[in-house]
Amino acid sequence: MDFKTAGKHIVLTLALVVLASATLAAQPIYKFHVDGLACPFCAYGIEKKLNALEGVERIEMNIKDGVVVVTMKNGSALDEAVARKAVKDAGFTLNGFERLSPVSEQ
Amino acid sequence: MIGVGEVVLKYPRLCWLGFAMVAVQLAMTETSYAAPQTFNTALPVAKGHFVFREQFLYRKASDDPSGADRNLDVLGGISVLGYGITSDLALFGVLPYLDKSLDLTMPGGQRSTRDTNGIGDAQFFSRYTIFQQDRRGSNFRIAPFIGLKLPTGEDDKGDGFGRLPQPLQLGSGSWDPFGGVITTYQTLNYQVDAQVSYKANTEANGFEFGDELRFDTSLQYRLLPRKLGTGVPDFLYGVIETNLLHQAKNETSGGNDPNSGGTTLFLSPGLQYVTRKWVFEAVVQLPVVQDFNGTALEDDFIVRTGFRVNL
Repeated sequence: MDFKTAGKHIVLTLALVVLASATLAAQPIYKFHVDGLACPFCAYGIEKKLNALEGVERIEMNIKDGVVVVTMKNGSALDEAVARKAVKDAGFTLNGFERLSPVSEQ
Repeated sequence: MIGVGEVVLKYPRLCWLGFAMVAVQLAMTETSYAAPQTFNTALPVAKGHFVFREQFLYRKASDDPSGADRNLDVLGGISVLGYGITSDLALFGVLPYLDKSLDLTMPGGQRSTRDTNGIGDAQFFSRYTIFQQDRRGSNFRIAPFIGLKLPTGEDDKGDGFGRLPQPLQLGSGSWDPFGGVITTYQTLNYQVDAQVSYKANTEANGFEFGDELRFDTSLQYRLLPRKLGTGVPDFLYGVIETNLLHQAKNETSGGNDPNSGGTTLFLSPGLQYVTRKWVFEAVVQLPVVQDFNGTALEDDFIVRTGFRVNL
């Protein structure tokens, strides 16, 4: 690989990194606790209700700490009252809602 | 030659009492959607969602105090569908398929078999959570329930020997209300469920099963993973359950049958593998106390296995 080709690769890689970072940064991420969550079968009920909300792209759960992290699609937001109702409809209690990113928009 | 129909007349206890407790115990179970395997739980069904459960059972009863050397085998499949109207109110429907077979020795010494199979009596019931306390990694709930057993199973089946005795029929022919209350305490490490229930059996075909009072408990302890990491891993639970059932005497032709009813206590070890969407489970019910009136046929064991799925 000559110097010119290597330079192109570096520029392209940097451009992709910047683009990916910008995309990720634009996706709102929310974190909250679900009180009462204590088994995998129940976790799925919560996941189903949250997935049914408009704009939800990804849900990550940590059953040990009862933590749920919701990543929204670009331009979407998750309202706390909506999330609280979804968790309640699954039979559990939402606690400690916070927006992780982008913080500046909060 | 003496047929089974004649045996019915000669040994009414054999035909009526031999199955009475069996029929009751088949009807009383499989109404659950979640954790315990032999009864219900107070855990929620998400609003607007279904949970389906299929349980297969094999029951063997051959401890016969009479001289007929009776041997009863029951194979069954019980389907349960639960639906969450709200997170507190859930409706359940239960439909069993049963295959019953009885071998016995006639007074003349020959062995005979009477059997039947088909859809049994369906049940519908609702459960409402009246108390709920959620904490980080645990929850506690109390939920009463009320329901009705419908006469969907055939209750007038016969064979070459005549009409099958009522307890061997697939259905009772009666509309029987039941109700009770369930409580559940669940943590990440273990879960405890307890249920008390009562079923008021009514008369049909000149026969009325005795009312049933039962008390059930269940402990599920997480065996794997030993330590929880990140995410939502599958759980393997060790399970131990108890089922205490008391049934009043049956009534036939307006009088109590002195050779029916009694008390049974089962101790039931088992395993349960729980994923986010599926539950696979198996339990063996072992009778530790069987205090029946008369010469009722006693259980050897019951095996239950099956799955549940979050729809």
